[in-house]
Amino acid sequence: MLLNMLKKDFSRKKSITIALFIFILLSALLVSAGSSMIMELSNSLNNLFTASKAPHFVQMHSGELNQSEIDDWTSKNDLVKAQQTVEMINIDGSNLYLGNDAESEKNSIMDLDFVRQNTSFDLLLNLESQVIQLSRGEIAVPIYYKQQKNMNIGDKVKITTPSFNMEFTVVDFVRDVQMNPSIIHSKRFVVHKGDFERLKSNLGEIEYLVEFQLNDFSKLSEFSNAYQSSNLPKKGPSVDYSLFKTLNSITDGVVAAVVIFVSILLNVIAILCIRFTILATIEEDYREIGVMKAIGISQSYIKKMYLTKYVVMAAAASIIGFLASIFLNRLFTANIMLYIGTAPKSVLQHLISFIAVVLIFLMVVLFCSLVLRRFKKISTIEALRSGNIGDAKVRTDSLPLHKSKFFNIPIFLGVKDVFQRFKMFRLLLIVFLVSSFIIIIPVNFLNTIQSPSFISYMGIGQSDIRIDLRLTDNIVERYEEMNSYIKNDKDVEKFSPLVTSQFKMINNDGALENISIETGDFSIFPLDYVNGNAPTSDNEIALSYANSKDMGKNVGDQLQLVVDGTEKNMVVSGIYQDVTNGGRTAKALMPFNADAVLWYVVSLDVSDHTDIKGKIAEYEEAFYPAKVTHLQGYLDQTLGNTIDQLKLITILAILIAIFVSILITSLFLKMLVAKDYAQIAILKSIGFTLRDIRIKYVTMALLVLNIGIILGTIVSNTIGQKIVSIILSFFGASQIKFVIDPVQAYILCPLVLMFVVTITTLISIISIKKSSISEMIVE
Amino acid sequence: MNNILESKELNKTYIVNNKTQHNILKNVNLQIKKGEFVSVMGPSGSGKSTLLYNISGMDNVTSGSVFFNGHEISALSENELAKLRLNKMGFIFQHIHLLKNLSIFDNIILSAYMAKVSSREKINQRALRLMKQTGISELANNDITQASGGQLQRVAICRALINNPDIVFGDEPTGALNSKSATEIMEILADINHAGTTIMIVTHDVKVAAKTERVLFMLDGNIIAEQQLGKYSKEKNDIKARENKLSRWLMEMGF
Repeated sequence: MLLNMLKKDFSRKKSITIALFIFILLSALLVSAGSSMIMELSNSLNNLFTASKAPHFVQMHSGELNQSEIDDWTSKNDLVKAQQTVEMINIDGSNLYLGNDAESEKNSIMDLDFVRQNTSFDLLLNLESQVIQLSRGEIAVPIYYKQQKNMNIGDKVKITTPSFNMEFTVVDFVRDVQMNPSIIHSKRFVVHKGDFERLKSNLGEIEYLVEFQLNDFSKLSEFSNAYQSSNLPKKGPSVDYSLFKTLNSITDGVVAAVVIFVSILLNVIAILCIRFTILATIEEDYREIGVMKAIGISQSYIKKMYLTKYVVMAAAASIIGFLASIFLNRLFTANIMLYIGTAPKSVLQHLISFIAVVLIFLMVVLFCSLVLRRFKKISTIEALRSGNIGDAKVRTDSLPLHKSKFFNIPIFLGVKDVFQRFKMFRLLLIVFLVSSFIIIIPVNFLNTIQSPSFISYMGIGQSDIRIDLRLTDNIVERYEEMNSYIKNDKDVEKFSPLVTSQFKMINNDGALENISIETGDFSIFPLDYVNGNAPTSDNEIALSYANSKDMGKNVGDQLQLVVDGTEKNMVVSGIYQDVTNGGRTAKALMPFNADAVLWYVVSLDVSDHTDIKGKIAEYEEAFYPAKVTHLQGYLDQTLGNTIDQLKLITILAILIAIFVSILITSLFLKMLVAKDYAQIAILKSIGFTLRDIRIKYVTMALLVLNIGIILGTIVSNTIGQKIVSIILSFFGASQIKFVIDPVQAYILCPLVLMFVVTITTLISIISIKKSSISEMIVE
Repeated sequence: MNNILESKELNKTYIVNNKTQHNILKNVNLQIKKGEFVSVMGPSGSGKSTLLYNISGMDNVTSGSVFFNGHEISALSENELAKLRLNKMGFIFQHIHLLKNLSIFDNIILSAYMAKVSSREKINQRALRLMKQTGISELANNDITQASGGQLQRVAICRALINNPDIVFGDEPTGALNSKSATEIMEILADINHAGTTIMIVTHDVKVAAKTERVLFMLDGNIIAEQQLGKYSKEKNDIKARENKLSRWLMEMGF
């Protein structure tokens, strides 16, 4: 009997049942995939960190290094379990050719380092997570290039300088616990020891990673303080184990969070649809329910009859969603598997996914049960007498027709109907709100990231050209030469030389710590500050958001630097956003520390008639090997990949929003027209044409859509902007302000939705043709 | 007097479950003159309501023709028929088919606002006049849930008359009312007819039909006989005689 009932109900409401089923199925699939991703990520990371024996503390250093001093210090420090110094040969991008590319890596923003396999820890692994072992002439290339440049085993890697040539064959790809993620702008290529020595003697520019493993990881900050206050090499940033973990998990972590968020969103839509369906069904079956009650069938039994359908449907959808997720998991975890590797699968992983799916199922069942409490309200006598559900009464005093000056009656009736039955339209409103939200957020974010002003989130003022001079021999003279060349260049309108050097600061624990400070005149190419302003006197310092958060410093707080051996009190003048260099930078007006210069940057604007490309070519030649970039080009390089992905996400989001809008609008209107059968018949009987009635329903759909779009836009630009800021604060930008293209966000997107909703409405209400009073009477 | 409504060889067939064919109307030929008050009687299932809806253009005929004011309407499109209903016809149903989300007054004026027959102010005034005429002035601002069945049927009459139609159709207009309300409604309809509006109603109530000018008797989808009663007038005080005459005739018909 139960099966018969289910069958009958299914054939009566085929489309809504299928749609609900799909929603719950997708929701279950995504929640299972999302939780599985998180488990996989955490397991794989642990696996990678164990297999590669990740270092706990790494100090980067460029310049001279005395290993015996390090050994001496290490032997006296009880915290250290093992120490190793990694030599890296930094290859200039213009000398490196990857695969079949005819172009060198000249424009690459990556630091390209050649290393040999380490011996005791920080092991460089291959795709099978085994320690890479190479013969001469062989090379293992970072996974990043496998993905970005589509490199394959057997491809060639060439280093070519005017005086030196060397060619390698790719035999493996490097899974690098430190430099794996694409957001890290350094990549390690592994070569044979012998080849490494040959490169070293010919190219010679060495950078070091002074690496430590500790006996007790919890004493990391104690160790870090001890290292910083020592005289050991530290011309460069230091990084630690937890940062490696964060950087390795951030991309996939965010994706997993988004997947789970979408799943919950779908579930909410499914639940709202179920509520609408149940209420419509109860209304249709009102008299039957009255009869059942009258002949003594208990309320709980009637409730069970209705609940069964949804329990069966939700259970089937959840199970299929869960099973599908097991097969589709590979798709979701492909990036994790490539970059981090796979850990042995545990039962726990499936169990947690299953529990997540069960939660989705329980949410649906609980909600159905709550909605079905309405049976209590049904009075047997009322149901039998009127055949009308009690709460169908609507207020008629709002928007009286005879007082309105509105000319078009069908439009007026549509507007009136929406306001009178607003409760019923909530489902549609929420769907439209969500749809416009998931369209507007990526559109606005894409527009923001593509706008030239996005540069201010990178801690850089807006200029035409940027020249980077990294640490090389006689850097000071070259820098001065460069400055005087630019000063005398008539095409240059204004320029600002900025030097980043390392200083010591006294941290909150009283220990010494390194801080990279950019010095120069920040008024030439000003930056937007989240709080406060640029430093204006030599005892002021501006901190990047990530630095200010780490240090717990805000505008007006004091900061102690050690300059030329004496303590100097600085006041924090402002906080800015910076997603470059791990987001940890600072800016001050004082003279730079000549002993610890990290890099020089000159930003400049050229006059309007100057050809920027020509100017860049001229400077590239004049200042070789300095990196000269058109700022827009710099942005495209750094963010090009992200922008491409974002474009894809935007298109996907628009398609999903349109799909959900079409589906729900169509279901909603089909049910609404069925519910309004009598009202439509009355309108027709008094002379409304089909066109008039269509106008009424399109007005209703568009009114709700427009309210949804307005609310969706407000929510996107407030809460949405906050969510994007929270995600980006991991990268160093805490206060993203959307750069909104009003044509896209306020005209095109709403128009697309309006078009889709209008067409869907017109198709969904075709059945109004059938409503007629004569048919009602015949029935 | 010219015919306002005429049907020729009107047929209506329903096909149930794609198989069984039900011929509800069989070659019905009918003429209704301008200003006439006609009622249709007959046993249940004889096709009274179907005739009303087919002849008024509310439903599509299977074959045959219907002429309204000399123009064939059986071939008109949905939209043309809607316009005709809006401007030239009024309908009163047995059950109260009023819009739930409009007040009583708004239900009355809706079709006039749609038809734009005159200014909104004039429409409102006409609605108030009609309400006064039918004795429901005090209900103007009420919801339809705040009125009795008899009062709502008067609202339906006001709505049917708001565009000053050429003809009013009533499908058992008193069927759901008590006898007092039914009598009052019929008095109102008689007054409207006296004022010149043609009326055609379907009823099974002798008391109701006795107040109409001509009674048609339907059996098995056809009009098999008719009885002329002449114009009804309250002043003549002959309602009992009309009722008796009609009853006798109906008995002869086997009703």
